[in-house]
Amino acid sequence: MNEAIAAVGGTAETAPQAPPGLKFVTRNVCVFYGEKQALNGIDLDITECEVTALIGPSGCGKSTYLRCLNRMNDTIDGARVTGSLELDGEDIYDPRLDVVQLRARVGMVFQKPNPFPKSIYDNVAYGPRIHGLVTGKAETDEIVHTSLAKAGLIDEVKDRLQEPGTGLSGGQQQRLCIARAIAVSPEVILMDEPCSALDPIATARIEELIDELRENYTIVIVTHSMQQAARVSQKTAFFHLGDLIEYGETAQIFTNPQDEKTQGYITGRFG
Amino acid sequence: MSDTIAETPTVMIPDQKDRIARRLGRRHAAEKRFRIYGIVAIGFALAMLAFLLTTIVWNGYSAFFKTYVQIEIHLKKDEIAPGGRIDRAVLAKADYQTLLRESLIEKYKPEGRRARRRLTGLVSIGAGEYIRDFVLANPSVVGTTQSIWVPASADIDQLVKGGIDRNLPETSRRIKNDQLAILTRWEKEGRVETRFNTGFFTQGDSREPEQAGIWGALAGSFFTMIVTLLLAFPIGVATAVYLEEFAPKNRATDLIEVNINNLAAVPSIVFGLLGLAVFLNFFELPRSAPLVGGMVLALMTLPTIIISGRAALKAVPPSIREAAYGLGASRLQVTTHHVLPLSMPGIMTGTIIGMAQALGETAPLLMIGMVAFVVDIPGGPTDAATVMPVQIFLWADSPERAFVEKTSGGIIVLLAFLITMNALAIVLRKRFERRW
Repeated sequence: MNEAIAAVGGTAETAPQAPPGLKFVTRNVCVFYGEKQALNGIDLDITECEVTALIGPSGCGKSTYLRCLNRMNDTIDGARVTGSLELDGEDIYDPRLDVVQLRARVGMVFQKPNPFPKSIYDNVAYGPRIHGLVTGKAETDEIVHTSLAKAGLIDEVKDRLQEPGTGLSGGQQQRLCIARAIAVSPEVILMDEPCSALDPIATARIEELIDELRENYTIVIVTHSMQQAARVSQKTAFFHLGDLIEYGETAQIFTNPQDEKTQGYITGRFG
Repeated sequence: MSDTIAETPTVMIPDQKDRIARRLGRRHAAEKRFRIYGIVAIGFALAMLAFLLTTIVWNGYSAFFKTYVQIEIHLKKDEIAPGGRIDRAVLAKADYQTLLRESLIEKYKPEGRRARRRLTGLVSIGAGEYIRDFVLANPSVVGTTQSIWVPASADIDQLVKGGIDRNLPETSRRIKNDQLAILTRWEKEGRVETRFNTGFFTQGDSREPEQAGIWGALAGSFFTMIVTLLLAFPIGVATAVYLEEFAPKNRATDLIEVNINNLAAVPSIVFGLLGLAVFLNFFELPRSAPLVGGMVLALMTLPTIIISGRAALKAVPPSIREAAYGLGASRLQVTTHHVLPLSMPGIMTGTIIGMAQALGETAPLLMIGMVAFVVDIPGGPTDAATVMPVQIFLWADSPERAFVEKTSGGIIVLLAFLITMNALAIVLRKRFERRW
């Protein structure tokens, strides 16, 4: 592990063993899309069982960083990631590591609700099925019900599990996507602007849900809404033009930012 | 509110309302004009289609009917069974055509060789088979005189159906006066009948129009299409999936893409030449066989399926792919569980178009010998066969008057085959369609 860090240079002394309670330890993360560099060496730690919010103006690289954490950037042609990203002390960009396993541990919820055009039941059961987590109908039923319950959707859909997931309202669809993500029992859930396509009431429900999920899951959320970041997160990281400008306790970032760019952004002077 | 506007100096166009109204009139007129163009074009196309179909049906429906005449025939025992023994093997081998000829000559006693030939030319040369079947069904009739319904010759058939005008002068009429006299007598005696032509759907090709059927070509087309579908669909879909979902985007794949697009525009006869050189001369596969025809047509259909398949795969929203990847699905799982099922309707549409094209294709099949005169019904994809468009072409090329209706009849059957095939594919496609 130390060797891996040494390889990126200079950070070997400054990166000791991950202290307990840190889920992700990332050092000097750079991302290139072809020739263009999108992230310029990000050092960021994600704390276990907390909500970490990534904020910043459009195109600042916060989604790019989020997508490094479960290697979703692999699916983009010409994307290249350098630096060290460790999940519980394991290098997630190790060629020997299977990306399928990583994504079972690090689930993701997207900006636009994207349920599969299948039944509600099949949407939730899909992940457990492909990973072989369930055998038989009884087990599948149970995992579907508990996942929908955790996502706060079960009361609304329990009588129509066989109806298509695409027939639900936007907010329900997004909670279905959360249920689908937690059905594979991940340790971390990444959320890429999960409420940007939803109305305020649906947003409030999702925020409540995030707060409940925090007990069992580590959550990283990208958001454009400063109020949302302030409401749901414990830690906040402010990105600007591919750099991590400031990272700290949410309360501190919003009340007493150290950097003037951060202050400018949260007070609405740019972004 | 309006007061404040009146007070502040704004850009005032003097007759704004009139100008807009005038402009609006022109816009509406343009729209109306365009709609009329569209309706006229569609109307014209529909009229042409109706004209085409009416012509084909008008010319072709008579191919589904056939004229039979009832002949009194003396089933001479010593000619049918010279040894005296009556069993199936002997009865099956006897020369009933000669018996029929002799019976006719005995009855009407024509003078001269030509008159005799004109007399015997009233019935089809396939009539012997009908008599044989009649005798085989009840062997006790041997030695008696029977009235048996046999098909008339093609000329008589045409005359009865009205294809030949009875009032023409004898010199310019294929049916001579003595033949016409006998026929008129038969008609008065009720010995002439037009029945449904089942033979057209159960027999292979023949030099005699009244004997020729489409079934051989239909079976040939069927086997060819099966081979084409079995080859082109899986290979085409796999290629589309590989290029769209798996292959890296670089020079090599760009080159392949350009080439596939160009292949779709290659004249079909070139594929025939390729089939001749590769499948027949190099691999020495059987000539005239639906197997090779299917392989050649598969090559021709592949670009259509690949191009439409890629378009359909591209049309699947990336959010679905992301959702599946995000759950930890592998690339193949993403493709087979989500992308492929969602793009299936589009792929099927491309396949329908490609298969319909292949069904109507003639040129490449000429190169690999499927233009041969094949009488036998093919029993499998390696038997010599021809296909429907080639059969229609062969009939259209034949000089006999009676082949005109066969040509149109063949086209009707080809269109029916096409509609059946497409309907089946559309039903299949509907089952794959999912609501978003």
